[in-house]
Amino acid sequence: MSIVKAVTCPVCGSLCDDIELTVENNEVVKVKNGCAMCESKYLGYKSEHRIRTPLVRKDGKFVPVSMDEAVHKAAEILANANYPILYGWSSTNCEAQRVGVELAEEVGGVLDNTAVVCHGPSILSVQEVGIPTCTLGQIRHRADLMLYWGCDPWSAHPRHLERYTSFTEGRFEDSAWKAYLQKVKAAAGKKKLVSAERLEFVKSRPRPQTQACTISGPPQTLKKDGRKLIVIDVRKSMTAEMADYFIQVEPNKDYEVMQAIRALVRDHELDVDKVGGIPVEYLEEVADALVNCNFGVIFFGMGLTQSAGKFRNIDVAISLIRDLNRRTKFAIMPMRGHFNVAGANIVSTWQSGYPYGVDFSLGYPRYNPGETTCMDVLLRGESDASLVIAADPGATFPKRAVEHMVKTPLIVIDPHMNATAMLADIVFPSAFVGIEVGGTAYRMDNVPLPLKKVVEPPAGILPDEEILKRILEEVRIIKAQKMAKQAEAA
Amino acid sequence: MITLSPLKKFQYPVMAECINPDVFKGKTTAEIAALSVWEGNKQKTLGDLFAIEETAAENPSIVINGDASKVRRVGMGMKNGEIVVNGNIGMHVGEKMAGGKITVNGDAGGWAGSDMKKGLIEIHGNAGDYLASPYRGSSTGMRGGTIIVHGNVGSDSAVFMRGGVIKIRGNAGPFLGFRMGDGTVYVQKECGTRVGACMTGGKIIIAGALQEVMPTFTIDSIKPKVKVDETETAAGPFYVFLGDLAESGSGKIFVSKAVNPHLSMYEKYL
Repeated sequence: MSIVKAVTCPVCGSLCDDIELTVENNEVVKVKNGCAMCESKYLGYKSEHRIRTPLVRKDGKFVPVSMDEAVHKAAEILANANYPILYGWSSTNCEAQRVGVELAEEVGGVLDNTAVVCHGPSILSVQEVGIPTCTLGQIRHRADLMLYWGCDPWSAHPRHLERYTSFTEGRFEDSAWKAYLQKVKAAAGKKKLVSAERLEFVKSRPRPQTQACTISGPPQTLKKDGRKLIVIDVRKSMTAEMADYFIQVEPNKDYEVMQAIRALVRDHELDVDKVGGIPVEYLEEVADALVNCNFGVIFFGMGLTQSAGKFRNIDVAISLIRDLNRRTKFAIMPMRGHFNVAGANIVSTWQSGYPYGVDFSLGYPRYNPGETTCMDVLLRGESDASLVIAADPGATFPKRAVEHMVKTPLIVIDPHMNATAMLADIVFPSAFVGIEVGGTAYRMDNVPLPLKKVVEPPAGILPDEEILKRILEEVRIIKAQKMAKQAEAA
Repeated sequence: MITLSPLKKFQYPVMAECINPDVFKGKTTAEIAALSVWEGNKQKTLGDLFAIEETAAENPSIVINGDASKVRRVGMGMKNGEIVVNGNIGMHVGEKMAGGKITVNGDAGGWAGSDMKKGLIEIHGNAGDYLASPYRGSSTGMRGGTIIVHGNVGSDSAVFMRGGVIKIRGNAGPFLGFRMGDGTVYVQKECGTRVGACMTGGKIIIAGALQEVMPTFTIDSIKPKVKVDETETAAGPFYVFLGDLAESGSGKIFVSKAVNPHLSMYEKYL
């Protein structure tokens, strides 16, 4: 039995690097410090869905084949394709992603990562208006106002509040954990009192009528000292439950609300009484809180990037930060989902100049989301082969896109038999990055962290990087043979 | 006059910026057929993909007959001459156009007239998204010229517009005139939400229905009519909104009073 300390968790974009694992007989048996998602991955990755050998579809059924045969078949498909797509990349390490860019260039394909259905819109708006951001470390020690907009870290990034924002003990800012506990206790006490009144143990007293409004309550909590937590969302999420102030915005009205806050920060009067279902006075309170903090941060998630307005929502959010920075110090950060989706963008930018949706078909990288993004290519039915790695578009893409993907040859590299692998023509089993393979991953604030290898992969199962390198090598051999043949014919 | 007819139904995108009157000028049919185009990731010649015919007529300079909805960058950067497309055309038609005329007797893909400087594009069908909007990250869109669309237009049109006139005879999608600085957009039918968001100048005229005006616009007046360009005037009355306040902008949105009675609540501020 051995204990491995300071392991980086390969689940969400928070990339917690304080995990302690107990390893026994090449198996993780105990997880310390991790959240529920972290534990579930480390303890549950060895499921019955694990693929053990490369598979090739013959007469509609998967047949186990040797690695060499699968590599040759995959390379043949890619080398002969006129417009292949290479999609996924977010749940693997930067080393594999780098080989992926090389492969995409070699086969003249469209390289795209899961940002296209996630934070791609954030990147688009960053390219238009820039991004004032910082690292999570700075936020931990200095930020006194957190605003989570359209995201629910308590459910999706469980340790985000505890490690980086409200509930962490910073050098210059105290944790708001005690205040939250008091709030929970007060709420529990209130519930007990109401129930006692109902059971007629105590005499009921008249209470002031609460206003019928979409808001949880008047914003007195915004005037308290110390760290403040504001949540803006379309529903009362788990994070909203613990917020000092929660604003429920009508679905698809985030843009208007944000733009209204911008106008208020600039001291303009609005002609309307309500924006997105929220009375303007309440927005004024929020604008006041934003302007009066010392260092504020806005975190945003899919609620902004994938609701009506898409990248324009982020455009206006970043513009709000720009406006706020005239009055105080503010930063903004996307809540990246997969553990290395930020790395996929960084590696793609480092290698090709563009973060996602890179089209190598003309021999040089081209980028124009809407034109060169794999979702649009699939919906227009333009691709003629696909390679999917470390992602599951079969389960997450629209039906029409998956239909086209399945019509053309599909190569999948994944540790598990997921929905996409079940639709594939060639399946490569790969080792789990962050458990069976080490490497580098980028946290949501674009800080690179090392991933650790804690156990050995099953016999014969290769890392993503190795599989891609073999395919790339084989593609080069096939292309060289083809050119030699053409030269002979000429 | 050169007539191009696709030899097959294209599956892969075809990059054909060589379909441009300035490039074709002074070339024989054989030379034109040898011009390089890309189909997917394979380099081909124009003659591989299109049947090319030459006739004595001077105008228009180029005619494309048939479905060219996968053919992109037609008329890119053209300065003179005329292109007529009898069918649909792909993305980036007339991108960076600096003169001449393009007529599309069908639908056009996204980014039609992107970064346009001068000239005329007339689309008789619908236009895709990003009509006259610039390339990603650029802050200068259409600077001059005229675009007329007889059908509907997708989202994010006239983004970062800095001059010129766009007339949309049908409906327009959301975010029309986003961060617009100058120029005129005229929508004859319905217009999507968030029209003129972050605009700092220019004017948008909406003769049809508009669900709501952005909360960051303030009412200025009611005008009986608005001039679109030298040849056209839109008859009102129109509510005139100023904004976007979030950018301290002075753009104008004219919204038809008759079609939008729900905006009458703004009249109390006049």
